[in-house]
Amino acid sequence: MADEEAAHKQHRASRAGASAGASKLKKKKKNDRGPSTKQSNPKAFTFRSAVRAKRQQAVSAERQQRKLHVPILDRATGEPPPFVIVVQGPPQVGKSLLVQCLVKHYTKHSLSNISGPITIIAGKHRRLQFIECANDLNAMIDAAKFADLVLLLIDGSYGFEMETFEFLNLLQVHGFPKVMGVLTHLDKFKDVKALRKTKKQLKSRFWTEIYDGAKLFYLSGLIHGKYSKREIHNLARFISVAKFRPLQWRTTHPYMIADRFEDVTAPEDVDANPKCDRNVTIYGYLRGTNLKKTMKVHIAGVGDCSMSAVTLLPDPCPLPSAAKKRGLREKEKLLYAPMADVGDMLYDKDAVYINISDHQVQFSKNCEDAEKTQGKDGDVGETMVKSLQQSKYSIDEKLQQSFIQFFKSSAIQSASDSEADESDESGPEKDDAMATVSEDGRLRRRVMFPNEADEEGAAEENGDEERMVHGEGEGEEEEEGEGEGEEEEEGEGEGEEGKEEQENEENEDGKLEMGNALQWKQGLMNRVGASKSNVNLMQVVYGHVEASSKDKDFQEDISDSDEELFKPKRQRHQASKVPFSVFNLSFFGLKAFLSSGHVDDWHNQEVIEAIRDRFVTGDWNKASQRQKGEVEEDDLVYGDFEDLETGEQHVAAENHEDAERRLKKLALRAAFDAKYPFLSHFCIDILKEDMELQKQRNAAELQDIDATTRIEMEGFSVGTYLRVEFRGMPYELVHHFDARHPILVGGISKSEESAGFMQVRLKKHRWHKKVLKNRDPLVVSAGWRRYQTLPVYSLEDRNGRHRMLKYTPEHMHCIATFWGPLAPPNTGIVTFQNLSNSQPLFRITGTGVVLEWDQSVQIVKKLKLVGYPYKIYKKTAFIRDMFTSELEVARFEGASVRTVSGIRGQIKKAVKAGSGKEGSVRCTFEDKILMSDIVFLRTWTKVDIPRFFNPVTTLLQSRDTVWKGMKTVAELRSEQNVSVPVNKNSLYRPTERQPRRFNPLQIPKALQAALPFKSKPKLSAKRKKPLLESARAVVLEPNERKVVSLVQQLTTIQNDKAKKRKLEQRKKKEAYTAQKAKEEEESKKRRREEIRERHRSQAVPGRPLNKKPRRNV
Amino acid sequence: MKGAQHFRQRLVLSTLSNTALRIDDIRADSEAPGLCDFEASLLRLVEKISNGCGIEINETGTKLRYKPGILAGGRNLVHDCGTGRGIGYFLEPLIILGLFGKKPLSITLRGITNDSRDPCVDTFRTATLPMLKHFGVPIEGLELKVVARGAPPLGGGEVVLKVPIVPKSLTAATWVDEGMVKRIRGVSYSTRVSPHMANRMVDAARGVLNRLLPDVYIFTDHYTGSESGKSPGYGISLVAETTTGCILSSECAATHSGASELQLPEDLGTQAAMSLLQEIKLGGVVDSTHQGLLFILCALCPEDVSKVRVGKLSSYGIKTLQHIKEFLGVQFSIKPDPATGTVLLTCVGSGFQNLYRKVS
Repeated sequence: MADEEAAHKQHRASRAGASAGASKLKKKKKNDRGPSTKQSNPKAFTFRSAVRAKRQQAVSAERQQRKLHVPILDRATGEPPPFVIVVQGPPQVGKSLLVQCLVKHYTKHSLSNISGPITIIAGKHRRLQFIECANDLNAMIDAAKFADLVLLLIDGSYGFEMETFEFLNLLQVHGFPKVMGVLTHLDKFKDVKALRKTKKQLKSRFWTEIYDGAKLFYLSGLIHGKYSKREIHNLARFISVAKFRPLQWRTTHPYMIADRFEDVTAPEDVDANPKCDRNVTIYGYLRGTNLKKTMKVHIAGVGDCSMSAVTLLPDPCPLPSAAKKRGLREKEKLLYAPMADVGDMLYDKDAVYINISDHQVQFSKNCEDAEKTQGKDGDVGETMVKSLQQSKYSIDEKLQQSFIQFFKSSAIQSASDSEADESDESGPEKDDAMATVSEDGRLRRRVMFPNEADEEGAAEENGDEERMVHGEGEGEEEEEGEGEGEEEEEGEGEGEEGKEEQENEENEDGKLEMGNALQWKQGLMNRVGASKSNVNLMQVVYGHVEASSKDKDFQEDISDSDEELFKPKRQRHQASKVPFSVFNLSFFGLKAFLSSGHVDDWHNQEVIEAIRDRFVTGDWNKASQRQKGEVEEDDLVYGDFEDLETGEQHVAAENHEDAERRLKKLALRAAFDAKYPFLSHFCIDILKEDMELQKQRNAAELQDIDATTRIEMEGFSVGTYLRVEFRGMPYELVHHFDARHPILVGGISKSEESAGFMQVRLKKHRWHKKVLKNRDPLVVSAGWRRYQTLPVYSLEDRNGRHRMLKYTPEHMHCIATFWGPLAPPNTGIVTFQNLSNSQPLFRITGTGVVLEWDQSVQIVKKLKLVGYPYKIYKKTAFIRDMFTSELEVARFEGASVRTVSGIRGQIKKAVKAGSGKEGSVRCTFEDKILMSDIVFLRTWTKVDIPRFFNPVTTLLQSRDTVWKGMKTVAELRSEQNVSVPVNKNSLYRPTERQPRRFNPLQIPKALQAALPFKSKPKLSAKRKKPLLESARAVVLEPNERKVVSLVQQLTTIQNDKAKKRKLEQRKKKEAYTAQKAKEEEESKKRRREEIRERHRSQAVPGRPLNKKPRRNV
Repeated sequence: MKGAQHFRQRLVLSTLSNTALRIDDIRADSEAPGLCDFEASLLRLVEKISNGCGIEINETGTKLRYKPGILAGGRNLVHDCGTGRGIGYFLEPLIILGLFGKKPLSITLRGITNDSRDPCVDTFRTATLPMLKHFGVPIEGLELKVVARGAPPLGGGEVVLKVPIVPKSLTAATWVDEGMVKRIRGVSYSTRVSPHMANRMVDAARGVLNRLLPDVYIFTDHYTGSESGKSPGYGISLVAETTTGCILSSECAATHSGASELQLPEDLGTQAAMSLLQEIKLGGVVDSTHQGLLFILCALCPEDVSKVRVGKLSSYGIKTLQHIKEFLGVQFSIKPDPATGTVLLTCVGSGFQNLYRKVS
């Protein structure tokens, strides 16, 4: 290696060509310059040539502009969720090993299996979530949608594979996150030169794909089956400093990656019917934007579903506290990967599970001595646990033996009897066993929170966790049923929240008094009471929605005042009797104010004086006092905030001075801007400033609102850990669940819920070999969704008409229109024909962007109506067979027609019924047409777009099976062995055209005679007898004869010469051609040999042949 | 949903949020059950400006099923509003829906321009349209032109409304400073009556207002001939502009109160002026009739905080807030400001965007 580097070639200046000339010139100039007086003044050399200066300016301006991007507002505040790092690559490239090494590097924890997301704490302010992307197109599509950073693994010894490029294309379409390449398998190279060359090649290809200077790592090889520590360390450092650009789609849509997935169906139901609909919960960090409870979500690979409950959970992997210290302590290097079965804590809605591996389990001694020493001072729980230890029989056994007498007279029944009767009961018990001891024998214990303990005490004894959780849910539902004031979504949320609300209601109604048992709730009430006056108004508006809507008569009353006018008198009378019950809950005793309502007497001077200060003629000081409340709030606006772009931390102005100074600065800046307008900000800077201001305003407004109201107002904020429950999911989701395929739950906005026609600007991918056929099923990935649909391709004509295409253009964009769940305009889409993994070719068929939505689309194709003349007058002709009825003709009256020979015409009117064939039509033409002419009408007919889409439900089937959707016609034909139908008339036949013979022109004799000579026909008829002149003999003079003979001789000589020359030339040419052919042959041979040689040299020697099949690029 | 109340709001919010709507028991107990003609007219209007919407009404008209389509907008549309309600009834939904259409909306509405129930077109022109400016609506394309006046009962008025589309979304507004009233303007119109009527109303209104502010100017607007509609009528609409650009409005139109006699113009003028003063007294950045519109606009903003101040919550405003929560999922935080007797409302917008617009 060292030798290699030492023996670098020296640079040799070129001695010929353009660059040599340039260098010579330069040298000359250098010599010329010297200490000349001309060049000594540096100010003189700003610009010498105006043209050049202008060009330079343009270049630099362009460079500056190219850097600018429209800023995307990231509304997230607070701690960001862990960044998702997707590790992707073709199979056997070392993905799992890389994740293992990185996790080991961060947490000192060796992972054995990598399934599901792995969350770790990478630094004081950074959490990472590693996800390995399975080698499956569906998994790749989903991964491209949620990755913040992609580690693209490339087998250096093999080169790029199709998967890499497919994934890169997916990334490009779904918003380009940060990408870092990692080259592995570099130890396969024995030859350093080859290694270096390969690296260089791969790098340049990688750069063209991403951007020049994109980071590409080299993992040189394995040490003890692991990547080298130093290299992993370097990689980790790059990961830890990576900046992530907010992506448009993700900043507008909330999404979650399932950290954990549980089936919470009642076990009895599953026992009764294993294929029953399941209730599942999904846990994960909320990303993107805030999630509202009422939002619908799309689970990628399943479909759209509504969340039945969303619960905020404590962060299972919280960032360390913000104490000042240098690094992370060992304790704080958390790892959370519930799907990979590591990490010790599992958080649920109402419980925390601690995993203790078997060898760490220590049971306390159950010897009675210990108990004695402690005596009665011991904790109640402790004694209880100990007493439980002492029991020799398990609960099951005890139950077997216990007897319950249901009725006095009835026989005593044992548990075993009842079990035999009702098989259902055994369900929960079985499940209980499952819940406590997981499959690998690890003990899982439940930690109860204190306030639950008293409520659930009785149930706890059964140890039936699953059932209890379920029961609680039911209880809540009941609550909803009774208390109509509660909103549904609220009731289903946290138990605590529900109670709070209930409490509020009770307070208002005054029906229930606070009992002693409810004292703990008082604390809650106090907390809410911080903004008590607020609550009153809020309750008037939101608290009694249902209650008031029940009271229908009353509703009529407070509705638009005008409704009254339409009410019969009797009814109106009734309505007026109804008391204003809602407004008795007075907020400042104010009544419903309508414009026609109560008006003060404004002739009274006092009344007028009361509002004097609301006018500019009044006292300005008092008016400003009135606004004071606002001023204070405005101050709040500029509270603490962090400029996320610069990482600058702004702290609220502690005293007045700071504020003043800031104002002064701003004033100075404004003055400066006014003075030097050309230096003022770009509009982008202004945009950025506005965004930042808005962000601060948001934060300031929301900070003093209590948590529950805040969730109601803005939804769950980004970065929180959520548990989302779904009801009635298909059982296949649970049955085929595979942790290696992460579940993506993406929120969809209201307008994206429905289906409609989407117009997409689509381009066939240049690596896809064939063009795409109209109406052939295509799998589309747009937004969160994947679905199969039938696109109709079209191009927009100049007049705005969308004209159908049978196939996509080869190298051009076209418009694809299809029916499907809507994705907003500007969303990128990517299409596939087949999602299977066993395709050797590039699987992405096209990429595009959504242009428009609509509920109806006009796409047309050309239609030619053909007719034949059956009666021709001068310029009028009657055409038959073009239409079939008078009605059809009426539609086309005035339309232009044309004959094959190019005579244009117009449709006039249908012939009268009975006077010709039905649907015959009278047309006029610009000239007389022939009976042999065919008349045709060019028109357009609307093409129907199939209203079909089929969600790709890959999560509902085994990962090994290929998802099957609608088949293309070609596939069906090849399956059924049906050949393509051939229309005989459409086949090309050799055209046989008889040469047309025209009759000679006959000019009447009388006319001929009258014509001037110029116009008379000059061709006279052939003579039968030769002319007399030709028969006459010519006798030459002797002199003449001599001349003639001489000329004849000379000509003969010349002809002979020419003949000879011609022969010679031909010979020469033949020889030349022969020579040329020979040379050509030789050079061809040489070239072929060269190519062969090159290929031979390029092939990497010693590749193992037993590797998996590759899809080489 | 039940009942005929707040039909417009439900329709508008259902269309915007793209949620199907079903209303049962529309005046089921009434002697004239079912949808009124003006409600049917509104449905037709919504159908006109949208594409692919489905409306099903049962025989008696007591049940309605509405599936919103996409808002198309378009030019040169014409709608006859009938004489059941004034044009004001149709304008409010139109301006909200028009903002989020595929194409800018320009529509001619025929019917009653001024009556005592609905906000008159003058108020719309002078008070409602400037309000949209605070939410980032391009003000250039926004226009309401009164071609002909139409007073009840026969109408015959005509207005041309032009609404631009918002390019992407509205902008959140922090609009709490109500300022001080600096000028009062107004329009006093008369049609098919003596032009003197308008002057009499102006004099009466000025009599009240001039005690507080000298800067009062009320235009008189007299219509004759074909522009004057089919029925006689007169009325006055006043707007107060504050130093911070808030506009409060009030209006009064002559009605046939019981007998066929119209009210005295002097009474109308005073009444309008007094109700304007009442609005000013209540405070807030908009008057009580515009509360509903204000709340809907706030809720349609991007996911930023909007903050507005209103005088007292009107019952219409309260119902609007409930409907907004139901359809758009936006809840307001409502805080009274005891010092001024006003109410501060804060909300995080629903992140509504104009997704129907075609991108080039």
